[in-house]
Amino acid sequence: MLRRYRRRAAMVAASVLSLTLALTACSSGEEPQKGEDLSAFRVGAMEKYGVGDQFKATESLKFSTMMLSNAAYPFKDDWLFLKELTKRTNITIDPVVIPGSDYNQKRGVLIGAGDAPFIIPKTYHPDENAFIASGAILPVSDYIDLMPNFKDKVARNKLEPELNQFRAADGKFYLLPGLHEKPWQDYTLAMRTDILQQLNLQMPKTWDEVYTTLKAMKTAYPDSYPLSDRFSKPTPGGNLINLVSIAYGTRGGWGYQPMTYDASTKKFVVTGAMPQYKQMLEFLAKLVKEGLLDPESFTQADDAARQKLANGKSFAISTNAQTLVNEYRPDLAKTIPAAKMSKILLPIGPTGEVNPASRLESGIMISKKARDSKNFVAMMQFIDWLWYSDAGQEFAKWGVEGVTYQKDSSGKFKLTPDVNVVGLNPAGTKHMQKDFGFYNGVFVYGGKPEIVQAFFSAEEQEFQKVMNARKPVAVDPPYPLTDEEREQVTLWETPLKDFVFAQSLRFILGQRPMTEWDAYLTELKGKNTQQFVDLVNKAADRYKTAHPS
Amino acid sequence: MIVAEARESVVQHRTGPRRARPTRGYRVFQVVNAVILTGVVVATLYPFVNIVARSFSEEHYLIMGEVNLVPRGFSTAAYKYVTADPMFWTNYRNTVVYTVVSTFIAIVLTTTYAYVLSKKHLRGRGVLIGVAMLTLFFNGGLIPNYVLVSNLGLTNSIWAIALPNAISVFNLLVMKAFFESLPVELEEAAAVDGLSTYGILWRIVLPLSKAVVATMVLFYAVSFWNSWFSAFLYMDQQDLWPVTMYLRNLIAGATGTDMTAGTIAEGDQLQVAATIQSVTIVLTVLPILLVYPFIQRYFVSGVMIGAVKG
Repeated sequence: MLRRYRRRAAMVAASVLSLTLALTACSSGEEPQKGEDLSAFRVGAMEKYGVGDQFKATESLKFSTMMLSNAAYPFKDDWLFLKELTKRTNITIDPVVIPGSDYNQKRGVLIGAGDAPFIIPKTYHPDENAFIASGAILPVSDYIDLMPNFKDKVARNKLEPELNQFRAADGKFYLLPGLHEKPWQDYTLAMRTDILQQLNLQMPKTWDEVYTTLKAMKTAYPDSYPLSDRFSKPTPGGNLINLVSIAYGTRGGWGYQPMTYDASTKKFVVTGAMPQYKQMLEFLAKLVKEGLLDPESFTQADDAARQKLANGKSFAISTNAQTLVNEYRPDLAKTIPAAKMSKILLPIGPTGEVNPASRLESGIMISKKARDSKNFVAMMQFIDWLWYSDAGQEFAKWGVEGVTYQKDSSGKFKLTPDVNVVGLNPAGTKHMQKDFGFYNGVFVYGGKPEIVQAFFSAEEQEFQKVMNARKPVAVDPPYPLTDEEREQVTLWETPLKDFVFAQSLRFILGQRPMTEWDAYLTELKGKNTQQFVDLVNKAADRYKTAHPS
Repeated sequence: MIVAEARESVVQHRTGPRRARPTRGYRVFQVVNAVILTGVVVATLYPFVNIVARSFSEEHYLIMGEVNLVPRGFSTAAYKYVTADPMFWTNYRNTVVYTVVSTFIAIVLTTTYAYVLSKKHLRGRGVLIGVAMLTLFFNGGLIPNYVLVSNLGLTNSIWAIALPNAISVFNLLVMKAFFESLPVELEEAAAVDGLSTYGILWRIVLPLSKAVVATMVLFYAVSFWNSWFSAFLYMDQQDLWPVTMYLRNLIAGATGTDMTAGTIAEGDQLQVAATIQSVTIVLTVLPILLVYPFIQRYFVSGVMIGAVKG
């Protein structure tokens, strides 16, 4: 076993090395120019294609696509989605099927080996940065004129500032992200509402109220840890620290960024040294100290936290819409039938009512080789239609009228009675994702709230209604880095992150007293934070001078 | 020391009735041995029994963490569910085919290579050993390997799994050492009686090497059965995957590699039940586990005892 691991490790190391070599070898490719002549690459493309048009290639075409096979709905080549897509657009998807468990690794190998399919979906920013220097992926920002729906959605929803964060040092972006009209904040805490009722408590609205609520629960049930949390792998306290950080105006847990923009000084500062970061730690340390937050929350596996909740040893836990419906409620129904569980509105803190979710999500990279295909324009139109047009998004999510959904008299969509998805039609014998291939994470990102929330329960739609009324969190100005800078930052970033995370946990768990905060700040300086923050500010200034808005 | 003593006592025990009782030292050794080995057995068996118990339990007992060694709420529903998936059986068949073919190729190549290397009089033997040893320390790397295999046109075929892994240098060296320990007189005698080189290998050396060949079959078969990485790299179609990839996607994929910053794509949040995972583990492990008892008899007695007298 050991031997195999060592060999794997050596292989990975060697591959990284060879990738870097390949990157340096190819970085001198020619720049594509704006307004270049694409007339030789229009075979199959529509002459006139604009917002609201149904895309249909003028001849039957095939595009290779990286296809993540989700364990919960493994890829099937006879999905109605694929057949219907071909019927509507004249495009056949030629899939390179990759198990979801190791998607990113194989994506890296295929791109590195020059064998990548044309369309590479499900890429999370900033993963694309690793491939930019190799010249293997297309600077899509040069070609968005071919994508009317994408342009329209960016303009209509004013997504330009968010999109700017995706730009590399050359001012281009290489990833077409999923575009949301409204930020979609899914994660928050869930609480046992029956316990709240029993103790005569209201749903907490702020983190201070969360504290008093947990305290009241602890008083009533001294043996419990009222909050025992999950989502701690691989980032300890990933969700909880993230949520509290947002409320205090900093970034931790999942949302951790080494540098955060300070709007008052108009400069980036070191996140781990922010006074807000300290306040966040103090709040969580207080919860742990008073026995309100299970210290194991930061290390335990999700299942352990689920078990504590199911056994009535805890009453609150991090959640998203799915885990609430698919896990907590069914668990509790079997163990404590009288229990009731629901999401609480994302608690607010000193920053007030903000909605922290980004309006961009994972997106599509395009292989540079696709640019040389005579069908390039048709492919861009196809991508634009399927991922960015209202009709395409509706199709990928809802499927085919009469088969997977029906419209009622008011034009509202409804699942057909025999089709089930996320437990909405428990009696349905066919599954929207498994049997038909619709609502597939590879093809469904973002869109109008009606589409995003199509399969949300009534209570979740209510939750989103309140969340949507909150103002979106301000976006940091972009600071695109050059290749050398990015390499340098990578060297600083990881030790800094490890240090901040480790010390954060020690502060929260009370292993290190808060009085040592100043000593911690000094230790932080030893992690090159000054050079790091200077470099980021320099890059931000450089971008600002180059792109005065 | 204890071991040496023990061996001596075994020999004496077998040869003469004069000292039928084992020495005290040997008995102490036996007790210590038994205690340690029992510990090892428990430590290795427990997780497996636990998985079997989980596979036969009802989901909510797993959620509550109440399943240990005995299934709770006995149910075979998960078995029915897994075995009803045609893709599971397709991948299962692939694993069997890949393992049998790859092991066969690996055994043939390793045996012949090792036999050649064991001959001290072979010219260029140092180079041949060096070539093998080099791959033990240096490696082309993931992407060059991929480029090589795909340019040879091996992707999406069994050869992408069988050929690059056909010779494990570790196994090669074990076999070479074994062949070197064979008494050279046997082969000389065979040569005098008129056997060719291949005849000697086939009729004399291999029959005497059942123990090492059995070991190698086991090593190779287990490693091919368990491997998923080559298939993951070189297979782009689901119906070519081995069952280990099916399993890996089920377990690792379900916990989600996409958990970045809380942005999970909407369609991806389905969970695979813990019982389903357990059932798949049991069904995947079982066949290779059953191979052990059949091969074990070759390990029990040394084939070489009494082959050369005088």
